[in-house]
Amino acid sequence: MVNPVLLLAVPLGLAFLTPLLAFISDRIARYVPVAGMLFNCVVSVSLIPSVLNRPIIVQTGGFAPPFGINLVAGPLGITLAAVIALVGLAVSVYGLAYVKEGATVKYHVLYLLLLTGATGVVLTGDIFNLFVFYEILCISSYALVAYSGDKNGVEAAVKYLIQGSIGSGLALIGIAILYGVFGTLNMADIARNIGSTGILNTTLFIALAFMVAGFGVEAAVFPLNAWLPDAHSSAPAPISAILSGIAIKVGIYVVVRIVFTVFGAPSMFMLLVVIGVVTLLIGEMSAFSQNNIKRMLAYSSVGQVGLIVFALGMATTGGISGGLFQIISHALAKSLLFLATGYMIYRSGSMEISSLQGMGKRMPLTCCAFTIGAFSLVGLPPFAGFPGKFMIVRAAIAQQQHLFTFLIALVLFGTIIEACYFFRIVQAAYFTGPREEPDAGKQRREEAPLFALAPMLGLLVFIIALGVYPEPVIRLLDSCAAELLNRFDYIKGVLG
Amino acid sequence: MSFLFENSYYIAAVGLILIGLYIMAAKKNLIKVIIGLSFFETGINVLLIAAGYIRGGSAPIFSHPDMQAGKMVDPTPQALVLTAIVIGVAVLALALSLAVRLYEHHGTLNLRKIRELKW
Amino acid sequence: MQIILLTSFGGAFATYLLAKISSRLRDVCAVIVSGLLVVFVALLYNKTPAATLIPSFVGAPLTVRLNMLSWFFAIAIVVVGFLSIVFSFSYIKGKERADFYYLMMLLVNAGMIGIVLSADLLTFYIFWEIMSWGAFLLISYNRGPALRAGMKYIVMSVIGSVVMLAGILSLYAVYETFVFSELAGRIASASPAYSLACASMLCIAFAIKNAVVPLHTWLPDAHSEAPAPFSAVLSGILIKMGTYGLILVLYLFVGVKLFISPTYVWRGFRFVLLVLASITILVPSFIAVMQNDAKKVLAWSSIAQAGYIILGITFGTTLGFAAGMFHFLNHATFKALLFFGIGAVEYRTKTRDLNSLGGLLKRMPITFIAVLVGTCGLIGIPLTNGFVSKWLLYKTLILEGSPFLAFIALIGTWGTILYGYKLLHHVFLGQLPEKYKNVRKAPASMQFVLIILSLAVVVLGILPGIPLKLINTIAVSMGMDSMNINIFGIASETGALNTVNILSVLAAAGIVVWIILKASKKSTRISQEDNYAAGAAIPAERYSYTVDFYNPLYRMIRRYLRDIFDEFYYWIAGRVQAFSDMVRRLYVGDVGCYAMYILLFLSALILSQVWWRVW
Repeated sequence: MVNPVLLLAVPLGLAFLTPLLAFISDRIARYVPVAGMLFNCVVSVSLIPSVLNRPIIVQTGGFAPPFGINLVAGPLGITLAAVIALVGLAVSVYGLAYVKEGATVKYHVLYLLLLTGATGVVLTGDIFNLFVFYEILCISSYALVAYSGDKNGVEAAVKYLIQGSIGSGLALIGIAILYGVFGTLNMADIARNIGSTGILNTTLFIALAFMVAGFGVEAAVFPLNAWLPDAHSSAPAPISAILSGIAIKVGIYVVVRIVFTVFGAPSMFMLLVVIGVVTLLIGEMSAFSQNNIKRMLAYSSVGQVGLIVFALGMATTGGISGGLFQIISHALAKSLLFLATGYMIYRSGSMEISSLQGMGKRMPLTCCAFTIGAFSLVGLPPFAGFPGKFMIVRAAIAQQQHLFTFLIALVLFGTIIEACYFFRIVQAAYFTGPREEPDAGKQRREEAPLFALAPMLGLLVFIIALGVYPEPVIRLLDSCAAELLNRFDYIKGVLG
Repeated sequence: MSFLFENSYYIAAVGLILIGLYIMAAKKNLIKVIIGLSFFETGINVLLIAAGYIRGGSAPIFSHPDMQAGKMVDPTPQALVLTAIVIGVAVLALALSLAVRLYEHHGTLNLRKIRELKW
Repeated sequence: MQIILLTSFGGAFATYLLAKISSRLRDVCAVIVSGLLVVFVALLYNKTPAATLIPSFVGAPLTVRLNMLSWFFAIAIVVVGFLSIVFSFSYIKGKERADFYYLMMLLVNAGMIGIVLSADLLTFYIFWEIMSWGAFLLISYNRGPALRAGMKYIVMSVIGSVVMLAGILSLYAVYETFVFSELAGRIASASPAYSLACASMLCIAFAIKNAVVPLHTWLPDAHSEAPAPFSAVLSGILIKMGTYGLILVLYLFVGVKLFISPTYVWRGFRFVLLVLASITILVPSFIAVMQNDAKKVLAWSSIAQAGYIILGITFGTTLGFAAGMFHFLNHATFKALLFFGIGAVEYRTKTRDLNSLGGLLKRMPITFIAVLVGTCGLIGIPLTNGFVSKWLLYKTLILEGSPFLAFIALIGTWGTILYGYKLLHHVFLGQLPEKYKNVRKAPASMQFVLIILSLAVVVLGILPGIPLKLINTIAVSMGMDSMNINIFGIASETGALNTVNILSVLAAAGIVVWIILKASKKSTRISQEDNYAAGAAIPAERYSYTVDFYNPLYRMIRRYLRDIFDEFYYWIAGRVQAFSDMVRRLYVGDVGCYAMYILLFLSALILSQVWWRVW
């Protein structure tokens, strides 16, 4: 069995090796992220069967938990690590073609750091360690948003940085309060101390509120998500893809882990459900009349985050595995969309939706990838978005409560709006612009380069495979849901 | 009065945090906002230290045999703060370098005027 | 079963891939695929296979099965699908993105086959959605105004599927199953309000696809803007998937017994359906009269005809069911025929504007005869299939004691006569405009399709017993009474239908009329270019006396025939858009403000807990 710590050590080591390798040859340095993510992909997938039996607890530094920093590779952590590695791999391959100018070495270093941070957050079992990895993730994403150095990128990065720092500062205050109360940083230990009263005293609630509000900034729930549309729309395409596909999912993971496992606060579930629906509606409505395609995709991410948070907040097995499925399908589909738009924008030179006209002819494969990604997000079968949405709606209706009936109606309304704007883009890409004679289009083909197409097609295959045969993944996610719902098993697993 | 004296570290920490947050939310100038960020982080660090501090305690090292563990200052927050300071420095450095870039593009650091990305 | 689905889906993609090699190969492949489907489905007649596609998909298996009802729909789907592919040969030749067009045609076909084959609601929903987005891409194919039509279609379609999803899952929440046979009749066991809610949600979804009146607004645009072969599929078959769904809900889930039971809930439900169906017949028939676009006429007519079908199946008697089902089959034949016919005209003349067409009788004789037969079927002239189904319908209405509805259906038929004649006249009769002098006959592949369908209309009209026997079997299997059917019609104590008698009467009458006409000899033949207008000199190319046809009637009814629902939906869409524009302003672009959002959220969270202990 492989030690899960390698999932962090290898990309982190490679990140700092990259500048050294760049001295030898820039070409080698470019392939480092691909190698790192490939390694992570293989390792995390190979770990899945064993963590399904029982979580792997790694003690770093030889202290047994509750002392010392430990890694908890449970089903949820490893599954998310696998998703991160998979999307990271696709995006790093894309980066080979896309990232040509500027400080490419720094890009690769930061990119690897970002993914290390993301993987670390989902694997760690120590709350301060979680904060550190979270900060690694955040700082490298601030820098990467501004990577191209253009006007919008820098502005978005500054705004993202200010809001992100407030968020992580608040989260740190929460951690400080928790430490002041319990004198421990191990999440399982804190959870054991909090016990299962269900009702929190005011001090603990304040800690929880600080952490939810702080980590919620990265999770992009309303009203903490104002950075998201700016950052996602101004970053270079691969960074948008990774931010949308991974970074916000990590934020959601942290919030959920804290609410479910650390605090076990059932009263907060309702809060998650409500802000989920509000986020969904605001995201979808804001996306509705956007003319800038990347901004529209960014708002659509807000909407999807809302859907995921709504699903997770239901706190039933069906709801959580639906929400986790939605995390996976959204990670695949949204990164696919950002990757595809990256080259569409590159070719047309503008982010306006109207400038997409005739793209179906100019870059048929890219456009096809975009269309399928969009269909998947809307939740049309046979693509990956369908089982996720289906499970979420099923779980909500199975609650048989009037409140949920009302909320699910709002969720479905959001879905309709989402369908409207995605279908509009599909139309714009395929059916607008001057009609062309057949054969005349042949010489005007400007398909994206191979290295950019390959990851898109890879993601496409995953989207369709998940949409046609989701059962194995759902079974895996059911045990992830069990991990979240049974916090005592988690505590016992870590502390023995 | 004794309440103030006993909780002076906490009061200082909360004060710094509030000052920092106020600056970040209310000030226009990006440099001031970054200074506010620095205040904010310092406040959090003080808070962390205060959580583990014992008035009149000693360093957590058994330097001579009759030292009592109960009188020692908790070392963990200090380790945490060390990490937090490093992170804070990284954020500040990045923020300042971005501020330079922002000034090159916009010719101003007034955040109320830098509003190209909206809606 | 699996072979059918494999052929239909695999064939679609195989066609697309072969198209990259050569377009001829693509055409051949498309025909082979759709032809094979006809053979496969025909071979399964009177068999009831069942199979599992995927043993577990989100916790439930995907299963398919075939029974008489689905076979009846399936055969109509594959035949119309096959004919539309044949028709596409010349229609789509030389247009851009023909490969894509074929892929989508076959995919939509495959989706529809999947719908009728599916044995559980989950499978049903999946194929339903595949059909819906496939149709969206095809409707948008023609660009320009088609974009708007496509958007309208897909928005309504998505609303429909969302409502359907809610309905399906509400059923699932109570019965924990998606399978039709397990759901059958069990809806009764829940509380009446809950079962009514589930049934209504499903019915709304199907009514959107079936274009029942308040939910019909997507149809006129979509039908008229889609490529002609797809219009035929759309009108003939695709919207009838809604009918199939309604039959499933009303006759299977609710169950015939409960559905026609005099309980308060279901009587009210039936009443609403009846009212909607009669409005669906009445108003669109006359809106169709006012249209000046040939395909718009047909589109509105599709809505009205769907109303007849709904009216038939809402009664829950064998006769009414037979009327609805038979009218479905007939509508699939004659409406497809009409769309193909108009498509052929459009292909040759490049226009669908009724005011500029005319006099094509001699130029496109086969097309003329086809459209004539189709129009006769549409109106319900004896010896065409439309007559039989309308006869069944009127009989149902009278037997069930609804003379008022019968009267409404009759008025609807008057409207049908008016627009049917208008269509025929404006395109084929009257003066031939100068610019269409050199119009050629429709290509052979189109003529083939037109002839086949014309024959079908007439044969089904003379030998209605063939499908009626089948429908009778279906009705009996659903727990309704059997009818006494022979090959030429129905015998029953309250009035028999026998097409042989009608044939002889009509033949006699025809001979009499012909003799009178021959004897009187008052008419003179004039050439089609002769546009004598009481001495006034009118330039030939500017002259079109068909403009403002039925003008007095228009002036009377125009005021009442606005599509208020369409305007209402646009108003809602506009409001939603305006509101979302307002929501967008939350993101003001000022980072201090964003910081305030974060702090406000935090303080609201803490204060609400400290003061009210909410969480």
